[in-house]
Amino acid sequence: MDSRVRELREAQGWSQGELAERLAVSRQTVNAIETGKYDPSLPLAFRIARLFVQPIEAIFLPTEH
Amino acid sequence: MVRSTRYFAMSGALLLLAALGIRNLPGVPGYMVRVLIAIALCLLFAALVKAVRSDACDDATPALRRRYLREFLPPMIGYVVAVFLSVWLLGRVEAPLLRALIALLPVPAIALAMRAIVRRIRDADELQRRIELEAVSVAAGCVSLGYLSAGFLQLAKVIDIAASDAMIWVFPLTCIVFGVAKAALGRRYS
Repeated sequence: MDSRVRELREAQGWSQGELAERLAVSRQTVNAIETGKYDPSLPLAFRIARLFVQPIEAIFLPTEH
Repeated sequence: MVRSTRYFAMSGALLLLAALGIRNLPGVPGYMVRVLIAIALCLLFAALVKAVRSDACDDATPALRRRYLREFLPPMIGYVVAVFLSVWLLGRVEAPLLRALIALLPVPAIALAMRAIVRRIRDADELQRRIELEAVSVAAGCVSLGYLSAGFLQLAKVIDIAASDAMIWVFPLTCIVFGVAKAALGRRYS
């Protein structure tokens, strides 16, 4: 799954560590989400959406197969 | 080098030196020395993984890492002390019941260390929990398969391993395979 997490994080001027702290996850998890290596659970996706004040579908984009 | 890496490296080196130091002392069972060496190697391997992978220290939140070290290191130090105490006392006590209690002295410390590991996994974030659980599954599978294979070989009288040696190595082997599996699985998400 593609995501706009990196773009949104950089727009806020946060480091991966700062975003990880705000989401109460590890920096490795933020990195894995940004690089598309890990799809977050629904509760974490909602936390990310709330943090960036965006709907989930505007942040996470299904990959075309 | 970050602090936790230094702790792991120093504890591993001290334990290894202690194990080598007591190796030839009279009354020290060989299996105790081998267990100490196995734990020392686990700690040194953990330090190496942390030193090589610069992002390995970010596999948990700082608060969780601090709590884990606080809960894991004291029982491991207690375990080493309990092993030495147990060995020393076993050479001086003859009553079977008392010997059983003394022989089991290191067990509570290991139980506390296992509790720290379980609490770390339970409170890790979802990706870390996935990595840890996959690593636990791999470790359980590999060690079970290894022991089953060794059991068949022993039944066929191809190998002859003492039961005490085989039993004492279950936990250290599981820890070693878990560490290797976790390092390998973690790379998939780095």
